[in-house]
Amino acid sequence: QETYTWKVQSHWPGSSSSYTDSLVRLQRVLDERTDGRLQLKLYEAGALFKSKEIFNAVSRGILEMGTISPAYAQDKVSVAGIASGLPFAFRNVWEAAYFHQNMGFEQMLRDEAAEHGVYWATDKVYPTEMVVKKPIKSWEDFTSLKIRSSGALQTFLTEAGAAASYIPGSELYSALDSGIVDGAHWGAAQGAYSMGLYEVAKYHVQPALNIAGTDAIIVSQKALDKLPEDMQKTVKDALSEQFWIRTNEYQYKERITLAKAIAEEGVEVNVLPDDVQSKLVQTAQKMWDEEGKRSENAQKALDMLKGYLAELGYL
Amino acid sequence: MSIEVLTLLFFGALLFFLLLGLPLAFVLGGVSVVFLYFTWGFDSFYMVASQIWGTMGSFTLVAIPLFVFMAMILERTGVARDLYRMMHLWCGGLRGGLALGTLGICAVFAAMVGISGAAVVAMGTIALPSMLERGYDKSMALGVINTGGGWGILIPPSILMILYALITGVSVGKMFAAGIMPGILLMVLTAIYILVRCHLQPELAPALPKEERGTWPEKLRALRAVLLPIGVVVMVLGSIIGGITTPTEAAAMGVLGSLISAAVYRQFKWDILKEAAIRTFKLTGMIMWILFAAHAFSAAYQSMGAQELIEGLMNMIPGGPWGIIIAMMVIVFLLAMVLDPVGIMLITLPVFMPIVESLGFDPIWFGILFVINMEIGYMTPPFGFNLFYLKGIVPPSITMKDIYKSIIPFVIVEIIGIGLIMVFPEIATWLPDLFF
Amino acid sequence: MGVITAFMRGVTRLNDFVGRWIALLIFAMFVFLLLEVGFRYLLNSPTVWTNELTQMLFGVYAVMSGGYIMAHRGHVNVDLLHSHLAPRKRAVMDIATSLVFFIFTLALLWFGIDMASESISSWESSYSAWNPPVWPVKLAIPLGTGLLVLQGLVKLLEDIAIAFDLDYYTPEESESEGEQL
Ligand SMILES: NC(=[NH2+])NCCC[C@H](N)C(=O)O
Ligand code: NA
Ligand code: NA
Repeated sequence: QETYTWKVQSHWPGSSSSYTDSLVRLQRVLDERTDGRLQLKLYEAGALFKSKEIFNAVSRGILEMGTISPAYAQDKVSVAGIASGLPFAFRNVWEAAYFHQNMGFEQMLRDEAAEHGVYWATDKVYPTEMVVKKPIKSWEDFTSLKIRSSGALQTFLTEAGAAASYIPGSELYSALDSGIVDGAHWGAAQGAYSMGLYEVAKYHVQPALNIAGTDAIIVSQKALDKLPEDMQKTVKDALSEQFWIRTNEYQYKERITLAKAIAEEGVEVNVLPDDVQSKLVQTAQKMWDEEGKRSENAQKALDMLKGYLAELGYL
Repeated sequence: MSIEVLTLLFFGALLFFLLLGLPLAFVLGGVSVVFLYFTWGFDSFYMVASQIWGTMGSFTLVAIPLFVFMAMILERTGVARDLYRMMHLWCGGLRGGLALGTLGICAVFAAMVGISGAAVVAMGTIALPSMLERGYDKSMALGVINTGGGWGILIPPSILMILYALITGVSVGKMFAAGIMPGILLMVLTAIYILVRCHLQPELAPALPKEERGTWPEKLRALRAVLLPIGVVVMVLGSIIGGITTPTEAAAMGVLGSLISAAVYRQFKWDILKEAAIRTFKLTGMIMWILFAAHAFSAAYQSMGAQELIEGLMNMIPGGPWGIIIAMMVIVFLLAMVLDPVGIMLITLPVFMPIVESLGFDPIWFGILFVINMEIGYMTPPFGFNLFYLKGIVPPSITMKDIYKSIIPFVIVEIIGIGLIMVFPEIATWLPDLFF
Repeated sequence: MGVITAFMRGVTRLNDFVGRWIALLIFAMFVFLLLEVGFRYLLNSPTVWTNELTQMLFGVYAVMSGGYIMAHRGHVNVDLLHSHLAPRKRAVMDIATSLVFFIFTLALLWFGIDMASESISSWESSYSAWNPPVWPVKLAIPLGTGLLVLQGLVKLLEDIAIAFDLDYYTPEESESEGEQL
């Protein structure tokens, strides 16, 4: 029997909890369920391809598999902008999960990615939360912040009145430490913990800036087609199972990481005052419409989202 | 083909074409392409283009042209020359005085930059002509610059320490704190070496003849020459420590400082600036093309299974905990002669760290050994990148052989330093334990 | 033979011309970084564009340097063997090793074109908060590599002339052409 070895380039550094919990898990599961016929060879962030290049490499079939943030695929997949997270849309992780898997958003992503020879499977949905050096107690506190951000959230925070700038991950710790910025987001508690941000910023801000399918696993269709049918099914099943297991597990780990940060590093949870929250929601909603303008599909997804949020009583 | 055989062929080919005189950038790039073709096929060349694209997008590298430009301006306008004249007047009686002064400037530079390369080129520009003019032996001058220029990654801020922290999950702050005393230790050891060597062989670093040493008023007047360089340093360091700029942006403050100095010297002239810009372009491009190819090379090597090689090697090592640590150091040292730091870390750390921790060693302490080792690898023949950066700025009369030879004693000194840190881990761990 | 000489001169001039202009980008990078510091620190309003623009300029600056540096012999090599060889033998050796040079640069050119045309076909932008087009920077990869390949060709022609004593090129005359940097 033939064995297949897939090169898998991750966008996670090895120290990121998701590298082990998501990728090494998948490697183990596929090994078990194919009786060793499908081997994943894992590469940490940046080893073969830089994160923003992984989608292209998988699309060309140079890599058989990769992990990305949807933000890196926005120019190819028009709904990826929505996948990477509209600010202040969902309030609970389960809502985002339901939107992806039960309302058909995941399928929309998958269809668009398929046009580029890529099989898309969201790894998990999870919140992105900020850490700040001094607590936000009022709207003035918020607008006087300098925040390290990236992508759509940077636009959002700027629109909302804070001073958001992009600083690469490698300079983030120093920037926060020396006060070049007063706040930052890098995932939520686990991300902040892994980057050592709690050493220098003691307030963990809630609610989340967004809750979204910020991590995705992508497979080259070419590579998938080469597998015998039974193994193709094994891979796809493992990926859909992965979404639920990881979404749930990630929430658990968020909670215990935050608890650890509170106990060991003296971190405090800073819940945004109501007026700050409602002002942020207003700004956010204006931004959503921009996402919709990207394509017909994006508009469709946005309408679906708005209908859903209305149903939940949030709009 | 097994990874062991591939490794031998891969590095053999590198060495072969390098000796034949093909520039390093093209050797690294060409050999990667050939090996990628045989292990992965034609399409994998996309990876080479993609790595170059990634390197073009690395923000921390933007500091290179800026710091080089700063050094060029300081040199062209005469600020650097006056600084060296001052140093010569003040410690002219001391054999090796200028070499010591250069070391000091290197240490200050290291506190301003987080990458090597920029410091080597900048210090080569500023210090080399001044030392050679005053009759310093070229080996001594080159060695000092090469060794001191490399401290940028050991003395915080350091991009390599941040990377190490990101990959292994240790605290960046602790790594930075841990780098300080080892940095000072290496400085002291190197200074001792210079003083002893120059005392025994005065011809290496001639003292200023008595009658040229100048009177006190002259000396005091010469002191003015330090004001501008100190101003530049304060602008750069002050803006990093004061939370005004990121380390990369601080490089722009350095340029601003050098431009102000140029104005004070009445040398703020388009001709001078343009010439500085062109020399900066040439040196930065030289460094960047080496990095382009080096990144492609390390991606190619990783795709071939470099990590399995390291795993295999680690399984073969006998000799207890210390044997394993030393073997790791040797591996890092060898890899550092050919690969870029990110590549080395990605290949080795996932294999090393579980072992280091299970043996009960402190990962912070290990990280410091790791970084010093990479620094040594950078300045070790045949490939060490800093050697090539230095070659890019020396006058034609200095050959690669001169540079190769100059480095030997300095490497020995640094190895002694590593030995001391291994025997007395407190040198690295005391400060982080104190602060955190 | 006149054609070859003209080609060699032309390529070297082109690289010189391009290099002299691109070199000035250092001023732009400096100004933009400084601006960002000013905006953020003094006005407390960081911009979304300065650092990213600086980054893009840097990419162009770096990748476009290859040909210019080659024209000025700035790509560093190990001269252990070189320095002991007569010019003719050295030229023969350089002709042989140029194979490795061309393998690298042509592979890069090929996939650089591929990458750039893909980027242009979708007018790729960065999707950062500023969201500028990035295809011009990607386009710089094949352009810069192309200039390097051309200059490599010039070097090869020089070496062939030296090795076989052909008269379209004499080393002395061109030595004075490039200024000492
Ligand atoms: N789980 C994580 N560590 N996620 C990292 C997210 C990083 C992302 N670039 C941000 O700005 O937040
Ligand atoms: Na440093
Ligand atoms: Na090296």
